[in-house]
Amino acid sequence: MPQIILEHIHKRFDKFVAVEDLNLVIEDRGFVTLLGPSGCGKTTTLRMIAGLETPTSGRILIDGVPVYDSDRGINLPPNKRDIGFLFQNYALWPHMTVYQNIAFGLEMLKWDRKRIESRVGEMLQLLKIEQFGKRYPAELSGGQQQRVAIARTLAPSPRVLFMDEPLSNLDAKLRGEMRTELKRLHSDTNSTFVYVTHDQLEAMTLSTRVCLMETGRLQQYAPPLEIYNQPANIFVASFVGNPTMNFIPVRILSREGNRIRMEMLGRQAVFTAQAPAEDLSSEGVLGVRPEFLPIREDGALTASIYSTLPAGMETTVKASCGETMLTSVVFGSVDYAVDTQVKMEITGNSIVLFDGQTSRQAGVGAVEILD
Amino acid sequence: MSTIQRDLRREPLRYRMKAFFAKPANLILLFFLIALVVLSLMPMVTMLTNMFTVHAGTEKKMLRVPVGSWTLNHFELLFADPEWSRSNFWTPLLNSLIVATGSGILGILIGGTVAWFITRSDLKCKKFISAVFVFPYMMPAWTLALFWTNMFQNSKVGGGVTGMVESLFGICMPEWFVFGLFPMIMVIGLHYSPFAYLLIGGILKNMDATLEESATILKASRFTIIRRVTIPIVMPAILSTFLLIFSSGFASYTVPVFLGSATRTFTLSTKMRALIQAGYEGQGYIMAFLSILLGTAILGINQYFTGKRKSFTTVSGKSGQVSLVKLRGANGIISAVLIVLTLFFAIMPLVSFALESVIKQAGNYSFSNMTLDFWIGTESSVFETGMPSGILMNGTMWWGLLRQVGLAVTVSLIVGTCGMLIGYACVRRRGTWLARAVENLAFFPYLMPAMAFGTIYLAVATSASFKWMYGSFFLLGLVASVKFLPFASRSGVNSMMQIAPEIEEAATIFGVPWVTRMSRILFPIQKSAIISGYLLPVINVMREVALFTLLVPYPRYLLTTMLFSFNETGYAQYGSAVTLLIIVIIILINSLVNKLTGASFDKGIGG
Ligand SMILES: Nc1ncnc2c1ncn2[C@@H]1O[C@H](COP(=O)(O)OP(=O)(O)O)[C@@H](O)[C@H]1O
Ligand SMILES: [Mg+2]
Repeated sequence: MPQIILEHIHKRFDKFVAVEDLNLVIEDRGFVTLLGPSGCGKTTTLRMIAGLETPTSGRILIDGVPVYDSDRGINLPPNKRDIGFLFQNYALWPHMTVYQNIAFGLEMLKWDRKRIESRVGEMLQLLKIEQFGKRYPAELSGGQQQRVAIARTLAPSPRVLFMDEPLSNLDAKLRGEMRTELKRLHSDTNSTFVYVTHDQLEAMTLSTRVCLMETGRLQQYAPPLEIYNQPANIFVASFVGNPTMNFIPVRILSREGNRIRMEMLGRQAVFTAQAPAEDLSSEGVLGVRPEFLPIREDGALTASIYSTLPAGMETTVKASCGETMLTSVVFGSVDYAVDTQVKMEITGNSIVLFDGQTSRQAGVGAVEILD
Repeated sequence: MSTIQRDLRREPLRYRMKAFFAKPANLILLFFLIALVVLSLMPMVTMLTNMFTVHAGTEKKMLRVPVGSWTLNHFELLFADPEWSRSNFWTPLLNSLIVATGSGILGILIGGTVAWFITRSDLKCKKFISAVFVFPYMMPAWTLALFWTNMFQNSKVGGGVTGMVESLFGICMPEWFVFGLFPMIMVIGLHYSPFAYLLIGGILKNMDATLEESATILKASRFTIIRRVTIPIVMPAILSTFLLIFSSGFASYTVPVFLGSATRTFTLSTKMRALIQAGYEGQGYIMAFLSILLGTAILGINQYFTGKRKSFTTVSGKSGQVSLVKLRGANGIISAVLIVLTLFFAIMPLVSFALESVIKQAGNYSFSNMTLDFWIGTESSVFETGMPSGILMNGTMWWGLLRQVGLAVTVSLIVGTCGMLIGYACVRRRGTWLARAVENLAFFPYLMPAMAFGTIYLAVATSASFKWMYGSFFLLGLVASVKFLPFASRSGVNSMMQIAPEIEEAATIFGVPWVTRMSRILFPIQKSAIISGYLLPVINVMREVALFTLLVPYPRYLLTTMLFSFNETGYAQYGSAVTLLIIVIIILINSLVNKLTGASFDKGIGG
């Protein structure tokens, strides 16, 4: 079964390093997302696996077969890799009808007429575009073009499907619908999906595993919830989640096993890690998701309201506690006057402590404010 | 260095070579790199050495040294001897500069004015004016020069032949009006004014109207807006247009020959040929080299302007409705004047050539003086001319036409295909030094005036090892292909840039081989650009004179060079007949282009 393995993949454009020492195992039938800010090397990585771009060095195996190996000089062309690729701009052939667009690839695979006809019909039906068979791409809306592109890619039943930001050209509503359909398609087609996006929400909702990259380097490769709850470093923590996680600078005073005494926001506090904490320098950063920072009458922290952003279902509240600006999410619609004094509390067992020097995660646990 | 390290270094290189040659784009680039170095740089080297060596004939007799010896004498003669230098270099150079500058300014004044009326006023009959106005640009520039002589020559100047104006109105225009720098400026300026119209009109059309409207809101007058907003914004485009007309005027050969020979007014191009024909090859090559240098400099300046243009011309293309200037009472008069003038320069040359080709004695347009013998006369009709029969009954003419068409078709097939392949390969490998080198090399011949280019190849074809090439059809085809490649490769690059690489990659993933990708995907998408890429060289070859005149084995080898010899030797009727024939062919080809591609010269500006 097609498991994709990347070993020590490097990619340079002239002197510019686009991807650096990337190691990745994509399991069969997974839905893996490459996530990261624009320019971090997601597209390059995807194109290297597909064979559209040649890595500078490293090794790529698909289904145990090396498709690229810089040491042995192996480099299989894309059509020998049994893959499908969905381009960001769809890349539909403008001079062919929808039917011809889907059939062309099958003709090239030397399928016979009958088989092509029935397969194209099947695809048109699967993607609910039967009535557009005779139209040209220019005569379709963005969402319909998107479906044609998917149909064309899926027609030869590739075992692996690569998608490069396929939804970024659609409006918000359509994007939501297509997201649902893609997830459905994944379970229907039984193939492996590798998906590129810069939208963290898309990555969190769609994938079985997220590969988060920054400037060509892998930051964390884990299931979405693990990325959310146990981010490997400050970059991952800040990239995932909306509103962004609160980062509170702390000073480490002492530690006994899992218990760490520290000073934060001018107060003494104890952090209790779930597992034995890693070695720490004296400076740290406490990562608190907004939902773990509720406004409560009996809260231990005092803050003054800076602004309130009600969104219907929940309200984002920004408040300053001393020098530090804190973000809290409150359920329901509330409105606070500016400069009101409120009490806040750090709750739950998913507070993350980062090392201030390396930015790496040092432990996950609960915080209790003393005195 | 350990063996392992060395292996690691060596192996990837071999694989890298393999990967390099697996890409068709790389193969194409490598092929053209070699071909273009040989075809455009090597002749340059030949020309450079010819500037310093002694040639057979006049030079050898004068210097009394063996042919091929090194000498600086050509430079000495051309620059040191004050008398010779003035008449053979400085005066022609000055004339060239005057003609180039004058026609640049004239072209922009005419083209820019028409562009403003068409895009910014409520002028009547815009569509018609726009379509007819660009017509003279299609015709070879020398047709306008011939037309000018046909119209204004008179018994008091030049050869003393009576022209139309004298015979109809009895007016004799003074010599400066008929021959020399003034008519050269008029003809070249008029010929290139449609070009200025297209460029400036395009900018005006796409310019964000709010820029002008915001000035209107600030209560600026119409004239102030033109002066302070519109002109500064289109200024870079105007400068760039000026430079392009300037370099075309500077390089022009046919117009100065037709309008300058009678008064012995030489420009650099005509002097270059005269010197070479008189046996002063070395000096001719020096002039060719200098005009190439000037062409390069102008192109550099132009790129500087166009590069800056992007940064501040706001070409939104989607601007709202431009509020058109109301011409009110003047509207009728201005449109009438424009219609009459454009029609005059579009239609009158044809009428004039038709007339001139049927009259027996110049200047007498009465019916009794007319005959069709120059077209269809047979041996029985006796002429005092150099041809035994009318041009349509004449083997020489048909052979010339056949060769010219054959040349046009050959060159078009070569240039069209090469331009497309270069476009494809350069776009695919964009950013690599190889792509940059090929793109620049393919553009290099553009910098050389046609006369200088012909001169370079003459130098090659007369050198010992390439004697077999001299005067051959092969040489003409080769030279024309290289000379017309710049436009083709530019348009190839532009059309391939329109196609996202993913369009091809989507097919690569299905395992579609390269040839199929080109023939089933890329070509069909850019069909019209590719067809016009093939048809443009046909027009270019059909009207080219300067490039071929030094390279044909004898003057009546091609239709255009034949026409030239008719006019030089005074058989004006044949000349007019052949000119008319060439114009008709060009119009036919052009309407074919329009039919096939839906593209027309003035697309999107008029109306
Ligand atoms: N063909 C190329 N030549 C040079 N640089 C490139 C090329 N393709 C991508 N890059 C650079 O590599 C980096 C990663 O690009 P890409 O993989 O497209 O990023 P993204 O994560 O946005 O998809 C970017 O900085 C980009 O500028
Ligand atoms: Mg990308």
